[in-house]
Amino acid sequence: MKRGPALMTAATGLAGALALTGCSTSATSAGGGGGGGLTFMTFETPALTATFWDTSIAEAQKEVPDTKIKKIVSPDADRTAYAKQLQASGQFPDILSSVNPKDFSAAGLLKPFDQKWLDDNFTDPDGNAIDGKSYIPPTNSQVIPMIFYNKKIFAENGIEPPTTWDEFVDVVTTLKKAGVTPVEMAGGEPWSAAIPLSGIITADVLGADPEWIQKRYKNEVKFTDPGMTAAVGKYRQLIDAGAFDKGALSVSYADANKQFLDGESAMYPMGSWFIGQIPAAAAKDYGTFLLPSATGKPIVPFNTGGTTAVSAKSSNVADATKFAQAWSLSKANLKTLIETDGAFPMLKNVPFEEFGAKVTPVYTDGFKLVTEDNTKVSAFGQVNNDDALPPGLVEQFNSLAQKLFTSSDVKDELASFDAGWDKAAK
Amino acid sequence: MPSRSLRTGRSLGLAPVAWIAVILYGMFLLYPLVQSLFLSFTDKNPLQAGSAFVGLANYRELLSDDRLLSSLLFTMIVVVAVTVVANTVGLLLAIVLNRSSANYRVMRTLIFIPQVLSGVIVGFIWRSILTQNGLLNSALAQVGLIDEPVAWLGDSQLAVLSVCTVVSWITIAFATVVYTASLQSVPQELYEAARMDGAGVLGRFRHVTLPMIAPGTTISVVLCLITTLKLYDVVAVLTGGGPAESTQSTAFYLISVAFTDNRFGYASSIAMFLLALTAVVSYGVTTLLRRRETNL
Repeated sequence: MKRGPALMTAATGLAGALALTGCSTSATSAGGGGGGGLTFMTFETPALTATFWDTSIAEAQKEVPDTKIKKIVSPDADRTAYAKQLQASGQFPDILSSVNPKDFSAAGLLKPFDQKWLDDNFTDPDGNAIDGKSYIPPTNSQVIPMIFYNKKIFAENGIEPPTTWDEFVDVVTTLKKAGVTPVEMAGGEPWSAAIPLSGIITADVLGADPEWIQKRYKNEVKFTDPGMTAAVGKYRQLIDAGAFDKGALSVSYADANKQFLDGESAMYPMGSWFIGQIPAAAAKDYGTFLLPSATGKPIVPFNTGGTTAVSAKSSNVADATKFAQAWSLSKANLKTLIETDGAFPMLKNVPFEEFGAKVTPVYTDGFKLVTEDNTKVSAFGQVNNDDALPPGLVEQFNSLAQKLFTSSDVKDELASFDAGWDKAAK
Repeated sequence: MPSRSLRTGRSLGLAPVAWIAVILYGMFLLYPLVQSLFLSFTDKNPLQAGSAFVGLANYRELLSDDRLLSSLLFTMIVVVAVTVVANTVGLLLAIVLNRSSANYRVMRTLIFIPQVLSGVIVGFIWRSILTQNGLLNSALAQVGLIDEPVAWLGDSQLAVLSVCTVVSWITIAFATVVYTASLQSVPQELYEAARMDGAGVLGRFRHVTLPMIAPGTTISVVLCLITTLKLYDVVAVLTGGGPAESTQSTAFYLISVAFTDNRFGYASSIAMFLLALTAVVSYGVTTLLRRRETNL
């Protein structure tokens, strides 16, 4: 008789704990600083280690000697979601690294940087602008994706880097026949699974109409429109042609990097940050090309990067801004980002040599895409400016890229994505 | 004659400690629960200060949310599979290990380890085993059982199977301990009496063991159900809900709605629904198993 109620209490307690975990909230006023201290939310990757962050923080802190900077490390790569959790529990950091600012700026949680400071220091001062204001200094840029290829495998199979989609498909077919995995895919992690699909959409849809995302926000276009359907159909075409390994969706990013560098696959669509993963000694064996667009015109899928955003609710916005500016302009930080993360710097009046970074020919080729006069468009689902997708849509897009491995009904999947967009953009 | 203060102390007994527990329970469980209930009737965004009352709109949306439905379906598959596997295997292991020698004590301790580990650690361990180039594929390839790696986490159906296996691995440890404790409380005289009545191994199991461990079965089954219904950590690390959301549990979806889609209000309604579902399932199964205890 006594056990029943006890069990029910335990049941209610455990389930209630879930409700508590998922949905408790507290005051929405932010600002974790105060008392002479500021919090800085960072994230760690194999390239951006704890030592990098500690060193860079110590260097930038010289600008605010009376303020102590406390590092908060995001438990995983999704620092935007972590920042939201911190906000929900009243611990929004004073300074945030590499979050998607759109959600936060719309809620008035971020302080825009001074336009004159941006104009004075960056080659593309409005590269991260949302409604005319920049919440992340545009310190560097990325190309997402570049198609990395193994020169040796290409040479062995008599293949040249393709410049049209048909040539690209021919390359895939030739490699497949030769028993080589044509395209590496880190499909086990949703963000990296979506890179090839993002590349195709960027090349074909945004390449043809750079305003496409803005038009979607205004409901002037749909994902089910013929141009988008055709682009996504190309992704299905690659899957059907066996371009990716059968088990691609269980390959982690780290494993995919290793497999490609070990010569187990011929091509690898990935962000330019992968340059940092190619050992300098082996760099001569790799080349890059842009994913061919429908028209054959080279389209550069471009993203303006940057790190530090400042909380508008910080107890010491002035010092937080000073710290963020110092961090962003630090040549030492950029040097590390160039060497380990393949970042392309966009600091004004700082010749590349001044960073003192050692780079490979793969980096130099990629950097040309940034500096040369060409057609740059927002990399679909990858950017932090006005062309960023509504909340939750990046995750749905990543999931769509995985779903299309088993679903051939492109139109139906895109109709669902349209519905998701409409709900999220409300 | 005891002093007044001593008498007061005796009459209070452990009441102050109990009150602390009640207060903590209220602060950290009841209050957030009520707050979640309140939020479930709003359009609360975690990034915005205010929110508007939306009545039952969030609850109406639950009925037409395909992603919620598929997360529920996945969760229920895991709940049923894990509860059956964990209790069956847990009972078998408990019977095998129900000996008093040191070897068996060590084995019981080893079997309990998965329950002690955090779900995040378990997720990482199994991820390294089940990925494309993981230990399992390497082992299978070395003994010649497979020619090419099996996508344990990359194929939707295999990923569901993988999650069920990993969660069962954890839960078996718990079930084994519960059943071991239950078995050790069964008086040996009953087995002797049954043996004298001519009962064989199966007969003793059917007529002595099962009825005597029935209370343990109730506890094990119900707690397995509850822990699996709120499955989050293993999924988050092992599969991230993928591929293509095929292993997205309801709790995982709930967190995603709250912190990715910025829909705290709707996420709260999912949490309330999950709470109600857990309570109903727990109550139903408890009632059923308690009736069974009486009948055995």
